[in-house]
Amino acid sequence: MNSIGGQASEQPASVVSRLWSIRLDKASLIQGIAAVAVVIFAVSTPGFLSATSIRSLLTTVSFVGCVAVGMTFITLSGNIMSFSIGASMSATTIVFMVSVVLGLVPALILAFLFCAALNGIQGWLIGVFRANPLIISMAAYSMIIGSAIYITGGRGVYPLTNKANILTANIGPLPGPLAAFLFVAIVGQLILSFTRFGRNIYLVGANPRAAKASGLEPWRTVLWAYVAAGLCTAVSAVLVAARYRSGDMEHGIGYEYHAISAVLVGGTAIQGGAGSVIRTLVGTVFIALMQGLLILRGFGIEMQYLLIGLIVLAAVMLQWKGRT
Amino acid sequence: MTSAGLAMHAVPENQRTESAACAGLSASFFPGSPILSVRDLSKSFGAVNALKHLNADFYSGEIQAICGENGAGKSTLVKILAGVDRPDTGTTCFDGKVCTLSSSKEAQRLGIAMVAQELSVCPDLSVLDNIWLGSMDVPFLPRRKDLRRRAAEALSLLGAEHIALNATVGQLTIGERQLVEIARMLTRNARVFILDEPTATLSDNEIDRIFVALARIKRQGRSVIYITHRLAEVFRICDSVTVLRNGEMVGVSRTADIDRKKLIEMMLGRPFIEMYPEHGYTEGEPILRIDGLCVPGAVRDFSAVVPRGDIVCIAGQVGSGAESVVRTVAGLVYNATGSVRVNGNPMRLGSAEEACQHNIHFVSGDRAEEGIFSSLSVTDNLVATRLRALSRFGFLNPKSLQAEALRLAGWAGVDQRRLRARADDLSGGNQQKLAFGRCLGGTQAGVLVLIEPTRGIDIGARAEIYQLMRGLCAEGYGLLVASTDLEEVIGLADAIITMYRSRQVGSYRGKAINMQDIMADITHPLK
Repeated sequence: MNSIGGQASEQPASVVSRLWSIRLDKASLIQGIAAVAVVIFAVSTPGFLSATSIRSLLTTVSFVGCVAVGMTFITLSGNIMSFSIGASMSATTIVFMVSVVLGLVPALILAFLFCAALNGIQGWLIGVFRANPLIISMAAYSMIIGSAIYITGGRGVYPLTNKANILTANIGPLPGPLAAFLFVAIVGQLILSFTRFGRNIYLVGANPRAAKASGLEPWRTVLWAYVAAGLCTAVSAVLVAARYRSGDMEHGIGYEYHAISAVLVGGTAIQGGAGSVIRTLVGTVFIALMQGLLILRGFGIEMQYLLIGLIVLAAVMLQWKGRT
Repeated sequence: MTSAGLAMHAVPENQRTESAACAGLSASFFPGSPILSVRDLSKSFGAVNALKHLNADFYSGEIQAICGENGAGKSTLVKILAGVDRPDTGTTCFDGKVCTLSSSKEAQRLGIAMVAQELSVCPDLSVLDNIWLGSMDVPFLPRRKDLRRRAAEALSLLGAEHIALNATVGQLTIGERQLVEIARMLTRNARVFILDEPTATLSDNEIDRIFVALARIKRQGRSVIYITHRLAEVFRICDSVTVLRNGEMVGVSRTADIDRKKLIEMMLGRPFIEMYPEHGYTEGEPILRIDGLCVPGAVRDFSAVVPRGDIVCIAGQVGSGAESVVRTVAGLVYNATGSVRVNGNPMRLGSAEEACQHNIHFVSGDRAEEGIFSSLSVTDNLVATRLRALSRFGFLNPKSLQAEALRLAGWAGVDQRRLRARADDLSGGNQQKLAFGRCLGGTQAGVLVLIEPTRGIDIGARAEIYQLMRGLCAEGYGLLVASTDLEEVIGLADAIITMYRSRQVGSYRGKAINMQDIMADITHPLK
């Protein structure tokens, strides 16, 4: 898969190479080796290749996956990452669970609007005032947690209705969350590849000053990139809320870290302007596979943390090498 | 020495390699032996020969100007003298002894100090701290009193007693910061001061102050090497002038023995090579009209008309305001006032989006910073401004993007087989063509505004870019170009507007364009 992006050939760019869009260099070679290694590791691990095991793995990965797709928009637009995305996901689970008594559809609409607004405001601040995206998102993280605890008194929300249970159903052979994740990833990639907005994200992420000089308004693109991130996060939020039948500020803890890990391991450039949602999808699955395998082989949580840390480190170092 | 013929001390070809010894090259003009001299100095960057077998001498108690066009090798020479760059071949002698200037630390140890074009002061520290910053004289436990006294001495030597040692440098004017830098050199006991265009961004008062300081340094028996584009300054404060052209020494002369006209001829001596396409002189109806344009601190009351099919150049030195005019028209200056009309329609200033909608496109001279999207493909770069036209309800059609990229690449002369290459894999010239390609392709001809369109581009690609610009004129585009490269301005423009320190000085058209007047305008305006 890695070689498809290929050398500058004379044929018009195929869609596949556009999505992956890398050259055959050392970095993609190492990614290829890592992919092969993880497959061998998987095949040789007893009990891993069972349908139940894979299904449960892919279900859990889907929650992080949706958020990671959203994070991809932020990273691609040149804004590195958002620390507040896990907190806004938690807050959205609460909004969703509080409003679900009104019916599923109004609750979904409210949840999506809420999460889009929460991130959109940050995008607006970052785009218009050229504020540092990391600092803004850290401030937002603190403010979201603070307000949520002030309003809920720190307790979770457990609605006395099962209107949200339908979100836990399977869609055909696929678990609901997995189907949602695939849907979000495909739509996200289509937006990036085939819409003007998507193209603008790459332009602004690659060089905001050149984007401005060619008549774009970078702040607008950044704002909508954050809104897109918010919408993706909301998908994850409603699925998690339905699964645990509660809204709680603890539901989203750590998601920002897992999401940015997936984005980086996939190979999207941390400085923006290069990468794709498909890459993030691969990164998400890769990390989840490693985690699942470690569990099956009897390693504890400490080894999982250690390994993910190492993988993220390696991914970032690879980017560094790739640039020089 | 009295006759005009002797005033020019041209360097004969055969002497360049022979004089390996450190004897003064121009001993007949200068008293004593040189404090700093270079022999047979060569330096190349890749395929570009920045310096070719250069010989030069610098004397104590003199202010010596180095003049030459952009790319003549001035900066390369002083960077070698200051130990920043190392020469490929050649020897340097300091105070009669052969030395190697292997690092800027080594140069400083010998007593050669440079004030670079970009100031290197720390704005958040005090004047005192800045003066002693990085000095090897300061002991581990410094005696503040002693340091204060010596810093104050240095400042008073420069006639800058008014600068308080405790003041934060960020609060000082640019000219005062420059004085602080010079004071820093004095405390290091530098014997050779190199100043690279110190006055480019200063006001008249500040320039006077710097000149007073330089005169005092000279009287102390130190040597000053002064690089400038402003010829008036050469005659005002310099004792002698060294002219470089294409990395070679053209000549050296006492300023008393030479006049402006002669100096300009020396600087531009080379005949025009056939780089510039035929002029159009079509004089179509005006496509762009600028009236009373002001930018605080940069442009005062600028007016111009760009006719269809013409190239109008704004000539001026760095800091003259020419760039600001172009950036304003491109919609990138938020605090500009005045009126800009495109095809008679008024345009709101301060919005690049609005400028694009009026079919004004901008090609920056700073390719990496705002010219191209270096991590994106050639295709993505070419179609960047065409996305609106090529999309329907926000959706793009990859096929039509591809076709458009192919068309634009053909237009701009970018290799059509390299559409998928990353933009930063292309050469500088090709990158600039990308930036051009991005601006073309609208349904009707518009306005192209450019800053330094050939900055850092080699001769061959330059000629292609000039052809491209002329081709646009034939299509009915109007071009407005800001350039500090005089040869380019003269060779390219149908009309020239000169600027000097924010003000419009003169304008020339067609046959009225001549080097002398324009050079005079942008260096020393007639009052």
